[in-house]
Amino acid sequence: MTHPTATRSLGVIARTARIVTGLILLAFVSTHLLNASLGIISLEAMDQARPYLTEFWSVPPLGPILALSLLVHFALGLWSVYQRPTLYVNAQDAVQIATALLVVPLMATHVIGIMMVSNAGFDLDYAGTIRLMWIDSPGIGLLQIIVVTVVWLHGCAGLLTWLRSMERARNVVLWVYPIAIAIPVLSLLGFSEAGRVVLEAAADATVPETTPTQAPQSDMPMPDFALIKSVTNWVICGSLGLAALTLVARALRQQFRAKAQVILIRDGRTLAPVRSGVSLLDGFRLRNEPHASLCQGRGRCGTCAVRVLSSSQPLPEASPLERRTLEQKNLPSDARLACQLAPQGGQITVTALFPPDYAFDSVDAAEVST
Amino acid sequence: MRCLFILLSLCATVLSSTQGVAQTPTVPSAPPAQATQALPSENDLQELTRLLGDERIQAWLQAQVNQTELPDAAAQQTLREQIAQVSEDIGARVASLGAAWSARAGIQDVVEAHWQEQLPPAVQVRSLSFVLIFLFIGFGLEWLVRQYTNPVRRRLEVAQYEATRDRVNAGLVRTGLAFLGLFAFTLGSVGAYSAFTWPPLLNTLILNVLMVIVITRATGSVLLLLLAPWAHQLRLVPLGTPVAMVLWRVIVLVLAIVLVCGAAADVFEDLIEQADLQSAEALAISVASALVILLVSVTGLLLVFRAVHKHEPRLSPKAMRTWRAYLVTICVVVFLLWLINLEALMWTVALLGLLFPSLALVSAWVTSAFDTAAAEFQAKRLKERQAQAQLAATSEDAEVVSEEDEAEEEDVIDPYRSYRPLAVRLARFGVIIIVGLSLATVWNVGLFETIDNPTFTQRAFEILLDSAFALLIADLLWTWGKSVIDRRLANYKPPEDNKAPGPEARIATLLPLLRVVLQATLLSVVIMTVLTAAGVNIAPIIAGAGVIGIAIGFGAQSLVKDVVSGIFFLIDDAFRVGEYVEIDNLRGTVEKISIRSLQLRHHRGAVHTLPFGELKSLTNHSRDWVIMKLEFRVPFETDLKLVKKLIKQVGAQLKEHPEYGDSILETLKSQGVRRMEEFNMVVGVKFMTRPGEQWLVRRDAYQGVRDIFEANGIRMAERNVKVEIAGDGDLDDEAKKAVSAAAQQAIEQPQQPNAPIPDEP
Repeated sequence: MTHPTATRSLGVIARTARIVTGLILLAFVSTHLLNASLGIISLEAMDQARPYLTEFWSVPPLGPILALSLLVHFALGLWSVYQRPTLYVNAQDAVQIATALLVVPLMATHVIGIMMVSNAGFDLDYAGTIRLMWIDSPGIGLLQIIVVTVVWLHGCAGLLTWLRSMERARNVVLWVYPIAIAIPVLSLLGFSEAGRVVLEAAADATVPETTPTQAPQSDMPMPDFALIKSVTNWVICGSLGLAALTLVARALRQQFRAKAQVILIRDGRTLAPVRSGVSLLDGFRLRNEPHASLCQGRGRCGTCAVRVLSSSQPLPEASPLERRTLEQKNLPSDARLACQLAPQGGQITVTALFPPDYAFDSVDAAEVST
Repeated sequence: MRCLFILLSLCATVLSSTQGVAQTPTVPSAPPAQATQALPSENDLQELTRLLGDERIQAWLQAQVNQTELPDAAAQQTLREQIAQVSEDIGARVASLGAAWSARAGIQDVVEAHWQEQLPPAVQVRSLSFVLIFLFIGFGLEWLVRQYTNPVRRRLEVAQYEATRDRVNAGLVRTGLAFLGLFAFTLGSVGAYSAFTWPPLLNTLILNVLMVIVITRATGSVLLLLLAPWAHQLRLVPLGTPVAMVLWRVIVLVLAIVLVCGAAADVFEDLIEQADLQSAEALAISVASALVILLVSVTGLLLVFRAVHKHEPRLSPKAMRTWRAYLVTICVVVFLLWLINLEALMWTVALLGLLFPSLALVSAWVTSAFDTAAAEFQAKRLKERQAQAQLAATSEDAEVVSEEDEAEEEDVIDPYRSYRPLAVRLARFGVIIIVGLSLATVWNVGLFETIDNPTFTQRAFEILLDSAFALLIADLLWTWGKSVIDRRLANYKPPEDNKAPGPEARIATLLPLLRVVLQATLLSVVIMTVLTAAGVNIAPIIAGAGVIGIAIGFGAQSLVKDVVSGIFFLIDDAFRVGEYVEIDNLRGTVEKISIRSLQLRHHRGAVHTLPFGELKSLTNHSRDWVIMKLEFRVPFETDLKLVKKLIKQVGAQLKEHPEYGDSILETLKSQGVRRMEEFNMVVGVKFMTRPGEQWLVRRDAYQGVRDIFEANGIRMAERNVKVEIAGDGDLDDEAKKAVSAAAQQAIEQPQQPNAPIPDEP
């Protein structure tokens, strides 16, 4: 905060890093889910496609990159939770934060289990995995559905917010929506169809089915299940602990910061006072006052820009990130981003530069602002 | 008070939906069996024909038919027997409640054991997986729909609305979008669910879960239209944002819990049916669910009333307390009645208990909606007027415009005034119809079936409903007609003294007649309908009325003629009170217009009464303008240019007159020489005034012209005889006398009479 140059690099780098790592992770999840969706055809198809859709991610340059992305993304997420003055002002943020905190603990069982089993030299094919998830321990199967839901919600929220905040991507978004739904739905259908096939097979031949599953296991090198379990538990506890720690630290930070009331006046309407340190955008949302914001307060799109007419107290300087966006979007020099401007008290009067239902395809509104 | 409406509807939905859930038919897995049934073979059909031909079989069938008719007769119990039956039922119910109470301890184990038996843990988890997948698909599709409809929705929520109609339209579109999303959800989840086959218990369970979600969300979407908790511009009920939010959340939450309880009871019933459990345990479970529903409903009521008390100070706390107590009491009474298994009575209490408060609320809501609409109309008008005033301020006649506006404003305080009572009635009508139909369904009177031998209750219900419909529709028509007529009459201002009444005077004559006719017609129609419904044959009444009508028609032929032609004269606007009219040889000012006749006051005081039937044609002298022509005789040597100038001056003076100056449409002007006569020229002048003012103007015009002619040395022509005497000698006295006598004779020669000057009042 003291070094503008340092903040500049930090703010912009963190934002870019978050998007890049997020996209890498989403790409991996998508291909993996596509692999699972082949279950609609047959179990064999799933296994045949495995090398091309899932396993190439473990090839040396990709594997470490994936792991690094996960770590960086998680850490950045925790940092952003710590920094935010509000957590559940809009539904999307609330969903994204909740899923962010849940993803790692939920995924741990699946990821660590598969990784350690395959590292132990045990070839775990889809047929075996599906059997495990639907017959031997249906609890894990249920968990996978929850994981898919949570991961996909988080990924889509991030991706779509990013796409929506870019003017040149406005036509792309319309095509992304169906894909964003098709991938998880197909994979879940594939998963359930595979499960149905496995269940029917088990019902048809209850006695012979049990012997073959156990027979290869006894021949092959057995993975150390106890070790897997303990590692998984450690990861789960660790990530949950980190999340809890972040929340506690955030609560303490909120507790000890200076508190004052801020009165917001937007386009001539006086809103009920909000806490100091809350950004203007969050203040509007808290008071049910619609305000344009395509990037959901990431300081990326510039649609939440306001013109400050008067302020009873000096306003904090614009951060480099904010200045950069203001320049890029050709906004007037006296404009500020409502999502980045957090008044410290007093009364502040602003006018919105964009209509509340602004979207990049509404050309009239864009003309008005310039 | 208004928010109670929502609460009541909530209670109604809760009651009906529990019923709905309890009765949700479990989709039978049997139908395929039916489809596979083969058609009867040739032999079977022949066998059947042979059997039907057998006399013994025919006799047996006859006996069967007779037997099925017997129970009907047995159903005709006496009142004492019925009461005994009811009290016996209640006793049995109380006994089984006692048994349920004593069975409560073991119930958990029993249910758990059967549950495990029906659904082993692995199956439970797997089915949960399936449910999650269905929900994911459903929500995914809905999300997709929403992404494409979101821009529209956002625009609707953000816009500002100035008229109620725009607001209602926007709210409807928004609700439509919500339902589109919900439809996508239902399609995705239920569609995916139906693609699989399920064991019966699981079938009930999953279907119930999906139904609970869909019903709750549908109700939430409908309430969104009324309450709009997050978009205050779209709200249709007069509530603040905090109360709307609390109300919406409470209703949706209570409904969800109630539905879950109902669904759970349903599933348990299914389970118990399959597991052959004792009825005591089943009863215990349903009593527990009912208790939960009662508690949740009462808590919801209390929460809503707390919010209302906190955020809506304009509603009197005392009335709110009364309503709260009333509604809680109804909930408790309904629960108790359900407990002793008097279902019909329970529904009656619930429906009638909710009827009166909902009637009050519905009228209050409609009234407030009209208030809002009127206020919005006023605001819009004010805005327009301000814009107009700004515009006018730049031009010169600013004052004139504003004056005109103020005069206009009084008429249009509330443009919807005549619809208001009608809308209130209509809303009440709707509520009453809904409650009545529900009651009929509850008492199972077979309203929509044709019954050959209706019971007493069915008959009574039928008559009541028919009469109520007739009464309500007549009431609706009457309210509408009366409000329209009364509004027109209220707008009519009786003319001030010495002023002619405006065109609305004739309407004021007609409207009371119209009102009476409407009243009589509606009354007779309603009486006829009620009589018909009650089974009275009205044909003789109609025939009798027809005979009397014909008799009266002949007798009062001319009266009818007068009235009818009067109506047409009034519609034609041929005359108004205060106008000077001429009918055949009668003239006078119209003094009074009645339904049958017209009274004229002649300017000399006589009053003529003319039945309208006698009027053939009528001349009205008091319409729009009157032209009056005057003549002056001046000598031949007069300077006509000077005359023209002088008359122009007089005209200007007349126009300046404070009293009648404004009534002069075209002031006095010279028309030049109209004709030459023996001794003089005739100069014509004319002017145009409003009817009634011409006499005064004429008087002053004569006077003014005379004065100005005298001042300018123009003499009015007098009759004179020039005597020319041949020769130049003086005349002696005798000759002079003879000459003047001759001249006198020439003057006194009767001239041809002038055209009659128009009479004046």
